Order: sequence, then C-alpha cells, then structure tokens
Amino acid sequence: MALAYKLIPLFLAWAGAVMVLGRGFPGRRPMVAVAGSAGYAGGLAATFLLVRFLPGDLPFGIIKDAVGAGIILMWGVSVAAVYRSTGRDVPLPWGERFAHTRLGAGICALATGILVGAICACRFTGADASVPVFLLLVLAAVVLACAVLAAERFFFSSLTMYPSGMTVALVAFLLLSSSSILRLDLFSPLTMKVMKFAHDFVHQFFESMLIPDHFFFNSFTWDFIGFFFGKQVGFWGALIIWFVPVLLVALAVNLVRLPAVAHIRQGAQRRKMLAAAIRERRSRLVVPALAAVIFAAAVYQSRFPSVEYWDPKPVSVTASPSGEIFIPKKGEIDLEDEKLHKYLFKQGGREARFFVLMAPSGQWTVDLDACAICKPDGYGQAEGAVLCYYCRTLIPLDTVGKPGGCNPVPVPFTAKDDGIHIDGLTLINRWGETVQATTRIKETGK
Amino acid sequence: MAANIIETSGLTRSYGDICALKPLDLRVAEGEWLSVMGHSGSGKSTLLNIMGGLDRPSGGSLRVGEEDLLALTEDGLARFRRDYVGIIFQQHHLVPYLSAVENVMLAQYFHSVPDEAEARSALERVGLGHRLKNRPGELSGGEQQRVCIARAIINSPKLLLGDEPTGNLDHKSTLMIMELLRELRAEERFTVIMVTHNQEVATWGDRTIYLDDGVLVREERNEQGES
Amino acid sequence: MLFRILKNSFLKRPKAVFLVFLSIAMGAAVATAFLGIAGEVSHKMALELRSYGANILLEPAAVEGGGVLHEEDLPKIKTVFWKYNITGFTPYLFGVAEISSGTKRERGVVTGTWFNKQLEVEGEAPTVQGIKVIAPWWDLRGRWPEAADEAIVGAALAKRLGTAVGKELVTTVGGRSRRFRVAGIVTTGGFEEEQLFAPLVTVQELLQKQGKVSRVLVSALTVPMDDFGRKDPAGMNKDDYEKWYCTAYVTSVAKNVEEVMAGSRAKPIWQIASAEGALLKKLNGVMIFLTILALGSAATAVSTSLMASMAERSSEIALMKAVGADRFQISSIFLGETLIISIAGGIIGYLIGDRLGVFISRTVFNSTIISPLWLFPTAIISALVVALAGSVAPLRRALLIEPVRVLKG
Repeated sequence: MALAYKLIPLFLAWAGAVMVLGRGFPGRRPMVAVAGSAGYAGGLAATFLLVRFLPGDLPFGIIKDAVGAGIILMWGVSVAAVYRSTGRDVPLPWGERFAHTRLGAGICALATGILVGAICACRFTGADASVPVFLLLVLAAVVLACAVLAAERFFFSSLTMYPSGMTVALVAFLLLSSSSILRLDLFSPLTMKVMKFAHDFVHQFFESMLIPDHFFFNSFTWDFIGFFFGKQVGFWGALIIWFVPVLLVALAVNLVRLPAVAHIRQGAQRRKMLAAAIRERRSRLVVPALAAVIFAAAVYQSRFPSVEYWDPKPVSVTASPSGEIFIPKKGEIDLEDEKLHKYLFKQGGREARFFVLMAPSGQWTVDLDACAICKPDGYGQAEGAVLCYYCRTLIPLDTVGKPGGCNPVPVPFTAKDDGIHIDGLTLINRWGETVQATTRIKETGK
Repeated sequence: MAANIIETSGLTRSYGDICALKPLDLRVAEGEWLSVMGHSGSGKSTLLNIMGGLDRPSGGSLRVGEEDLLALTEDGLARFRRDYVGIIFQQHHLVPYLSAVENVMLAQYFHSVPDEAEARSALERVGLGHRLKNRPGELSGGEQQRVCIARAIINSPKLLLGDEPTGNLDHKSTLMIMELLRELRAEERFTVIMVTHNQEVATWGDRTIYLDDGVLVREERNEQGES
Repeated sequence: MLFRILKNSFLKRPKAVFLVFLSIAMGAAVATAFLGIAGEVSHKMALELRSYGANILLEPAAVEGGGVLHEEDLPKIKTVFWKYNITGFTPYLFGVAEISSGTKRERGVVTGTWFNKQLEVEGEAPTVQGIKVIAPWWDLRGRWPEAADEAIVGAALAKRLGTAVGKELVTTVGGRSRRFRVAGIVTTGGFEEEQLFAPLVTVQELLQKQGKVSRVLVSALTVPMDDFGRKDPAGMNKDDYEKWYCTAYVTSVAKNVEEVMAGSRAKPIWQIASAEGALLKKLNGVMIFLTILALGSAATAVSTSLMASMAERSSEIALMKAVGADRFQISSIFLGETLIISIAGGIIGYLIGDRLGVFISRTVFNSTIISPLWLFPTAIISALVVALAGSVAPLRRALLIEPVRVLKG
C-alpha cells in the first residue's frame, strides 16, 4: 500500500510524458506509444540488472547524470528558442528537423521511456526487483500509455506543443519522478554544488585580490558578502538554474512577433487576425506555466521528502597488501555529504559491514553496521539521527562513534586529508566479537 | 440582385400560448435595406431579434449568411452576433460608466482585440470626433445614437439591425441619422434591416414589409427617389 | 480593455464595491485570526509534546514535602545505558519569595536552575545542559544569565513588577535577601511566565538548600510507545526481551534514569500533558468550526451584495451579450472584478486579522503569538474562496440573462 502511494509520482510522470509526446508528435501516436513503452521496459530491465551487478551507487549516478543531461539540453533549447524568437535567422534546426522525422520522434519517445523506466526501477531495490514486478510494471505502464494517448485526443485542442515547450515539459516530468526518490534527487546536490561554487568563487576572488585587511570593506559589505557563504545561496541558485529555462521558453513564446497585419484594410479582419495570434501565443504559454508548476512540485518533493530513510547499499572494499582499507573522501562517493556510507569488507571467508559518516560537527566516525546489543540489522539515517533498523531507536548524529547504549560500535581509524584509513584485521575482529556477543545473548537469553 | 443573405421558411416564435410570429417565409438579398413596419406587438421586434441571434425561433428554419442559427449553441450565437451583426437600439444602450470611445472599444474587445485608433476614427466617421472622451450621460440623444452606430459598424458586420433607431429622436436628428446610415451603407455594403413605426423612415429602405399579429400582410418596394 | 472596464466599473459604483470588499476583508480577517491562533496553539502543543511527550519528570519519591533530590547525582544521568538518547536535562529548585523591584513588591516563585551549564563527567565528553537545551521554544528577550547574580524573569511576572532588562530586583526569603540583575524576559506560553529563574547555586544559597534539587526534567529521544512497549517485560521470551531491552521506549529510559537518582521517582510527562492536549485539540476544533462559519457568512454577504448589484447591472450585461460577448467573456469581467476586490480584501483582512489574533490571544489566552508565514497565503486563499463561493449564484444569474427581455423598450 505504501509502495503504491510512492509509485504515484512515478506513474504521474509517465502519463504526463506520454501525453506530451502524443501531443508533440500528433501524427505518430502509435509509434510514440510503442517506442515509449519499449524504452520504459528497457530502462526498467537495464536498471534492475545494473543495480544488481554494479557496485554501490554507480547505477544511480548514471541515471542522475542522464537526467542532468536533460536539464542541460533544456537550457540549450530554451536559449536557442529565445535567440530565434528575436527574429534572427538561425540555420540551426537540424535537431528540430530530425525530431520531426519518424526516426526522430521514435528516438525521442524511446529516450524518454528509458529514463522514466530507469527512474521507476530505482524505487525497487534488492529482492523487490524481480521478474514478476518487472512484468507488472511494464503492463501498468503500457496500459497507462494507451489510456493517456486515447484520452489525449479529447484534451484541450488549443493546447499546442512545440519543440522548446516539449523539451521543458518532458524534463519537468523526469524531474518530478526523479525527485520523488531520495537517491536520485538532483535538486539537493545542485544546491550543494552551487553553494560550494559560490563559496569557492568568493574565496578565490578575495585571495586573488590580495586584500591585506578590510580596508575598504566595511562591515556592511561583509554582511553582504557573508550572504554568498550562506545556505540560502545554494537554494536560490539551484532554483534559478531550474527555472530560468522555463522562463526563457515563456519569454521566447512572448517574443515571437505577431503577424504583420497593416496591409489588411478592414479593421475587423485585421483585429481578428491579431486576436487569433494572441490567443495562440497565450495557449502556448500554458506549457511552460504547467512545466513551472511541475518543477515546483519536484523542488517541493526534494526539499520535503516523504519520510524515508537514507539506506545506502554496501559497497565492497578491499584492503591493500599491508592490510589497510582506504576510502577516499572524494571520488565515486562523496564522503563529506553528512550521510552515512556503507561498505562491505571480505577477507578469508569472514566479512564485516561498516559505515563512514561525517557528523554535522565535522567529526569523522567509522562504525560497525551493528550495535553491541541488537541483532546486526544495521543502521539507516533519518533527519538528524541514525536509526537502528532492528529496534527503530534514533541515535543523535553527534553521539555516533561513541560506544555504549544502542550506538553502533566504533572502529579505530585515521582520517587524513585524502581519506579514511582503517585496519582491515581490526575491523574483521571487532565485527566477529560484536556479532558473536549479540548472538550469544540471544542464545542464553536474559 | 446578389445572393440572399437571409432566408427563412416557416419561421415561428411563440411565448407560451402567445404566438408572436406565425410561420414566416422571408428572403433578404445581400446589401438590401429592408424596413419592417407594424403596430406594437405585431412581431416586428421579435423578427429582428431572431435574425440578430438574440432570440431563438420556436420552429422553422433560418439561415443568415452561412450560419444555420437554429443549430448554434449559446456561445455560437454570441460568436455569430459579434462577427455578423451590428445592432442599433432605440434606447441606445451604452455602458454608462464608459466614455464614447470606450463604448466602441467594448465591441472591439468582445469581437477580437481593442484598437483605440480605429475606434476613434469610427467615431470621427459618425461626426463625433470632438466628443470621444464624454460619457453617454453627457451626450445628446442624437449623439448617443451616433455612438451606437459607430459601435454597430466597428466590426464590419454583414448585417446591420436597427430597432427603431430614430424612435426617440426629433425630426432633424432623425434625418441626420438616416443620412449617416445611408452613407455608411454605401461604403461598407452591409445589409440593413430596420424596424420602425415611422412611414417616412421606412421609405429610406429599398423594400418595406408590413407585419400584423405575426403575419406578413403586405410588402412593397420603395421608389429610390427620396434623395 | 478588461482593465479599463474594471477600473471604470469600480469608480462608478464605489459603494457596492466597498460592501463586497468589506465582507471579504472581514472573512479573511476572522480566518486569519482564528487559524493563526489555532495554528499557534497546535504549534506550541507540538513543541511541548516533543519535549514533554518524549520527556521524563524526576521527582522525589517521598510524597510529603520532605523529599529532595541531590545535585551530585545529576552527572550520573549522562552515564546510564541510554545516555546518548538523553539529549538534555535540567534541575529545578523552587521556592516562594517576596520579589521587589523599585517600589513594587510581589510574591512569586523563585526557581534555581541551569541555563547552559558546561557539564564534565568523567569518562564522557563534556556536554552542555540546561534550559537552553531542553526548552528551545522559550522566547527570550535579552540574554541568558551568565553571572551568579543574574536572572531571567517570566513575562507576566515582569509586567507585574514593572521591571525590564537591565534593571535590578531584590528577592527575600525568610529574612535573607538577594539582589539580581534582570538579564532577560522570557515568554513561554506557560506557567513559567510567572517565575523568576536564577542560577541553581544562587537559589540554593538563598533558600538554604545547598546541594538540593526539587525536580529534574529529562529530554530524551525515544521511540513512540506501541503495544509492544506496553507489554510487561517479565512475561517476554528471549527474543522479545532483547528487543524490548534495546528499544528506547520512554518507560525504559525513565526506569534507567530513576535508578541513578537516589530517592527519585521518574514518570513520563506525556501522561500529564495528554489531558491538556485533548482540551487544546477540542479548542482547535472549535476555532476551525468558527472559521468555516465566518467564511460561510462572509460568502453569503458577498453573494447578497453581488446579487443586488447584478440586478442593477442587468441591462449592462444584456448589452454586452447583445454586442457579442460569450459566457467566458462575461464571466471573466465579473470574476475579474470580484477577484481584484478579494485580493485587496485578503491583504487588508490579513493585516487586520493578524492584529486581531495577537489581541485575542493576549486577552483571552494570555499568551503572545508570532503569526506564522503560512497565514498570509491562507488569508488570500480564504478571501478568494469566499469571493468565488459568493459569486457563483450571481454569476449564474448573469449568464442566464436574456438580452431580448432586458433590452426591450
């Protein structure tokens, strides 16, 4: 039931995307339906397989990158649309001409389908990603697509689709679905990036200016500069990055010149033509307006995710010949995001699960994914706390790394500038002791 | 004569038991000026309203231009009125809180988009270039009627309907209005259907029909020699 | 053009427009005030439940006044099994004193407590404990006391004493008196507003109760009580007992804390708060009901006055129809009018309602509210809803007007 509720945004996005495609390629509905559904099935299957066989967060990273590419494409298209609407003749539209061919429409539908399917697949992890689930999802998607395409014919005939609007609308639906899944969320990482960029930029700026002291920067200016370091700047910056293309598309629609009517002598006719042109322009604005609403919904989902635990999949790590496990701070996984990252270490038939976490205070900690008392069901992360999966007890982030209570068992480590170093043998041994102890408790009872 | 712009056959209109219009067959040629005469309650206003898309007939068929008025929805009739018909009322019926030019622009707004320059020139054409900004209350009856005419012709209607447009005016103003309408018709080539009590006004038309108790009783062609 | 029509129509009929505006503004004001109070009440309740609901009150086990707790036991709280789940605790020592400020004298409660005390426990990392940690919702004007002779005063008591931040107070208990400087005035929405808070050591000295504490409030991160948590641990099997033991139910944390505080009895406070919570919930229901009632009557008023003006304007509407306006165009003119009025009414109503809410909560509930941000969109939306609901019937009537009948003769 809860899962069905969580699937709502995903299927909403699928229906929306199919609707947009159907409207965008009016002559090719059957083709759009087939290509889109095929893409959906393909994306779903590929992601199920990728998640199973690729380590860690890599598949999610790929999907995120693909959606991110969609945002960049949307930027390009919207800028081009504004440029063209100013009346300048751009020989550009090979892409547009291509999109109008049979093949172009098919590829567009296919790509959309693949992405929506892939995003949808990320909702199912582990044992959920099975063949029956796959078949059920594809069946639901195909039925939904057919229903939407059948209904689309009767849906506001004045609502016309055009290349830039279509791009924005499709990206909006992709973001709607991706932001409903915590690990595919693009908005929060974007805010972080913007914040870091602003921070670095201001930093560099001041360093390169070689300001010896605050000679001509009074406190007011510093307050102003301080804004760039704040958390707000990331949010607003990301908001701008998301919404500007939508505004650009709306602007482009508005900038398109009205038809020349001066040559029509009769006033009534002249006005009729103008009115028709204005009406069409207004109806074109509906698409970016709806897209903006969907974007806002996506941002909302990202800012206020439905209560969900951060539950990463353990990534396999190996020790160096000297027996040391090294986990880099930067790299495939960004350790400094204040989220716990799980790893799985195997050696000589024994294994240990552990996680690395940077607390909000900036303190590093490495702990077993098990506590000294409970069954080793492991931990997830909720807001401001780590959560024991077995007993659902919340452990404040700042106390993670301290022994005792229901806290995860800490492991000795050294944090260097490049990353975290852990001794493999100590880790394995500590896991062994802990899990044995908890198992013994279970056997002997109270 | 050119093709007929209006064709009716067996057109009736009844309000409950009262039959305002008995089955009526009428043809109006394109560009014709038709006067409709009759006593009060003879059904002449009803006929005018039906042809202007303001009222629906109870039976029969009615074609105006290419439109079958019986088949149109309410919004279809509104579209028909704004595209096809200009109406001049006896009571003028101007919006009291809008100036003369805004009253004309109102018709433009419902039709398509307002165009102030065009509205001004329409008022200048009816000789009101000096009273553009006045509200209806500040205008004389004849002037108000001219605003009404400017509003009626602004959307280049094919059909101009007058419901006793001179009923409230003195003789001098009446002549001025009729003269104006004749000039405008010569330029714009619209068809005029005018309901009147006044025999003299009726003779400005090409043809006069007489209604009595909803029945067409007499029809006569007017000499074109009046002026 | 639409704007010209609307502008002129407004200027022409200021009285009718003002009537509609007034009813919408009233509706929005009442909605803002009541929803603001209701929202604030549930907000405060949530804050208190978050601290109380997950909280534990430690009191002397001996019921007859004699029992006390000992301050030296306090650090032990940070050494219990659930130490990491205990986010904060604060001791309190109460005494009734004669408090005077200038010429005014009042009897009041003097409370000794920790504000933000650096607590060092052997073998544990140092932590900060005190009111600042345990009651983050306290609204303090001024700053927290730092010196031994500084105190903060509850808003109600401060008002009665006519004291302010930076002034001096003298408290007298049994002949001993002590001078305090007011570091801050605190608004909590509760009984704390009638108390004076001073550092624990100072009050212990004043009350001659060195090393004694009357109660301790403990704030802990706990797991919501469920059926499993209410079970008797004695009757559990091994697996269940293990799970119960390692689950941070408020009862188990309370038991844990009770063991280290000599002579204490710990009880989860939600048992105390729940009666109050039920009452507030009912009150909230009444507020929302009143709001709906007020909005409904505002909509009726809007509907009536629009209906009246619609009768006045029927010839205008008939004319517009005759000139060729379709239903959409007619509706957009009339809805446009009411929407503009309602947005203006919503903004004014919000401003009035905001003040009204502050006034009501001060006079009736004797507490201040800070109006939350969501009230503004709520006011605007309720104004729009009132306007739309109020214009349904008049608009229907406008659309049903037959130009032929109205324009005749």
